[in-house]
Amino acid sequence: MSAKPQAPAIVRLLSFEAESRLFMRLRATLAWETVRSMLTDARLRLSIVTLLSGLFWGALYGLFLEAFAFLDALHADVMSLLFNAFFSSLMVMLVFSTGILVYSGMYCSTEAKLLLTLPVRAETIFAHKFGEAIWFSSWGFVLLGSPMLAAHGMVRGSAWPYYALLLPFMVSFVLIPASLGGICCMTLVAWMPRLRLHAFSIAAALACAAALWIGWAMCRQTRIDTMSAAWFERTFARLSITEQKLFPSWWLSSGLLEAARTEADGSLSFEGLSEALKFLALLAAHALVLQSLAGWLARITYRHGYSQLAGEVPARRRRPLRWFDRMLGHAGFSAGRPLRLLLVKDLRLFRRDISQWSQFVIFFGLLGLYFANLRSFNYNNVYAAMIGHLNLAVVGLILSTFTTRFVYPMISLEGRRFWILGLLPVHRDQIVWSKFLFSFLGSVVPCCGLVLLSDSMLGLPWGLILRHELCALMLCLGLSGIAVGMGARMPDLRESSPSKISSGFGGTLSLVLSSLFIMAVVVAAALPSHVYLLASTPAALSWLGLSPGSSQAMAAWVGGHGGTIVSLGFVVLLGLAATFIPLELGLRAFRGLEA
Amino acid sequence: MIEFDHVSRTYGAKTAVADLTLAIPRGELFALLGPNGAGKTTTIRMLVGLLHPSRGAVRVCGHDLVRDPRAAHLHLGYVPDEPCLYDKLTGREFLWFIADMFGMPRRLAGERIDREVEHFELGEFADDLAESYSLGMKQRLVFAASLLHDPDVLVLDEPMVGLDPRSVRIVKDLLAARTREGMTVFMSTHTLAMAEEMADRVGIMVRGQLRFLGTVAELREQMALESTTLEQLYLEVTSPRGRLP
Repeated sequence: MSAKPQAPAIVRLLSFEAESRLFMRLRATLAWETVRSMLTDARLRLSIVTLLSGLFWGALYGLFLEAFAFLDALHADVMSLLFNAFFSSLMVMLVFSTGILVYSGMYCSTEAKLLLTLPVRAETIFAHKFGEAIWFSSWGFVLLGSPMLAAHGMVRGSAWPYYALLLPFMVSFVLIPASLGGICCMTLVAWMPRLRLHAFSIAAALACAAALWIGWAMCRQTRIDTMSAAWFERTFARLSITEQKLFPSWWLSSGLLEAARTEADGSLSFEGLSEALKFLALLAAHALVLQSLAGWLARITYRHGYSQLAGEVPARRRRPLRWFDRMLGHAGFSAGRPLRLLLVKDLRLFRRDISQWSQFVIFFGLLGLYFANLRSFNYNNVYAAMIGHLNLAVVGLILSTFTTRFVYPMISLEGRRFWILGLLPVHRDQIVWSKFLFSFLGSVVPCCGLVLLSDSMLGLPWGLILRHELCALMLCLGLSGIAVGMGARMPDLRESSPSKISSGFGGTLSLVLSSLFIMAVVVAAALPSHVYLLASTPAALSWLGLSPGSSQAMAAWVGGHGGTIVSLGFVVLLGLAATFIPLELGLRAFRGLEA
Repeated sequence: MIEFDHVSRTYGAKTAVADLTLAIPRGELFALLGPNGAGKTTTIRMLVGLLHPSRGAVRVCGHDLVRDPRAAHLHLGYVPDEPCLYDKLTGREFLWFIADMFGMPRRLAGERIDREVEHFELGEFADDLAESYSLGMKQRLVFAASLLHDPDVLVLDEPMVGLDPRSVRIVKDLLAARTREGMTVFMSTHTLAMAEEMADRVGIMVRGQLRFLGTVAELREQMALESTTLEQLYLEVTSPRGRLP
């Protein structure tokens, strides 16, 4: 073989530090451009997200402040128990979420394809994608954890070092499960390509089973003695599994509890601070070791793993539900066949898009799990009715995120395929109606089912259950109408990414309108029982300036059949308006659309 | 400059490239032809290090793409079939990123960026975000990025997709000039007219095997078809009853 030609004099391999600096500069530029685009093109969305995040943070802070003040006085070890349970479950979630994000960033993205053809180290690409994965997987932890930890410090009257140590503690902790997730991902891809999906599925199933078991064990047989000393003892014993001293979650919670410690006179405890610093050092050391290990693994496996994965042959697709599609396509009159065929097509796309149905299953599944456990707690009738209304709102809010994220962009995406649809004998109205039917039929069964589960677990009377079911039906109609109508009114035909379409101005407006609609429906449905409650509370009456006599007459009417009929009538009117007004606006715009 | 040494690549039970042995010297423009699924893209991906061969070795300027990918990449420029860009970078920022990746000195990188921006007529939109570019604009930018560091080997996968006739002419002139200066070009294409016009040698791949390797004149000679176009020769070679072994 001839001698290797020298690299052109104008190029050279970069050091690891230089590569890292380059990627940091790249990330900073991309972040700045993203923020700048949001400030110029998506002000409404940015304002709403900032406002809602602020409100969410404030509400959580207030909630944790009250809860910690109550629990701290109740039992000395309750904080440690709570922290251990919270951080250990968070650790498991971070391992999975970072693993999945590292997988999609390193093995499935077009950026990885570009970077692997440049003279850059595999470990630098890993570090770049790992940073991204950590950011996406742990922002929820920051949003949820920071008000909790700040409230803990306030309740304990902690000195400033506690607050100063929060960030280093959080960062050191997050790096441990995130590195583990990255290591698991790269190992599975490089050495067990055929088994990786099975291994991941088994691990995920085991984690879910463990979470279910802990939840069930905590909730069973607790109907009678909730919050009693015996209940606490039993719960402590069941959660002791999270208090393993080899778990980073234990190091974190112990470090935070030590950092929050004060002397009897309320001054800073130097002993506590020194213990906290030891725990922080322990966390940081493990984080650095694991990150180095992950970097080393990336160096020896990444390119090989990428190549292995690209060589995977996709399994032949089975179509077990073909009979259902065929039946749906042929059911009914021939005049409606184009509409049904469009419906079947959307159903197939939904079934084959794992990102859509998996989110649907996860969110509604978790909600179902929560509703199924409602029976474990004791409620009086008033409290149960209030929880029933709140659950109705939660079902509506989750449905609105799905309609905004998945249904709203459907018309825009259909617009891109106008060269197919435009040549078919299909009226444009049928396209819009098929989307509406798809959304409504797909949401009505899970939503009404969940509301029924919640209300029956709460032991609500049948009258109230039927009212809630009617509200759920109206929510499904209205939310589908808003998403489809707004999607047809403000289509984005240039964009191919559904997430980008839904996060634009129209998508944000649709989400805001959906939220307002849900609030209006739930408030209208809950008003009769709340007016009835107010009328039976003397303090509330005097605050409103009402006399007991007049209020009882009013309560009898509002809380009785008259008030119920008026409130339900209002809910139905609201539902029909939210369905047909946006749909009509959308139909008109879509008829005149030039693609 | 480019060596495929008994290279095979399998996907499960399917062999995408079978025992490919091929050497392309300095300054040659080589066009790899073949029907869809023939193994052209797999060959190109092995050449740029995205795929590892199941057997054999691929070398660029003597550097094995599996054992020493970074050293090999210093000599390579790559234009993929689908341009990969950062949506939130401007064209010029992207070019700077690539130049920095190759460790080019700042002053020289600035000069080269200006040169390629001018060559590919990117000046008008070089400072806009890439998310606003059309396919053709993106492709021109990727071309510019791949030539910044004057690579010894340029790998092109379907390079003319999305380019307007003027851009096609620019690319053709540039490839001709660069190969004269010693750059080796490995190109996969379905545009037979371009291969006929520009390639020093062509390779025709069918079902993972290189069925023909040589000049268009040699192909005509072997097929004993004097005055036919490359298109007719290609169809003859790639047909199920192809006349070549």
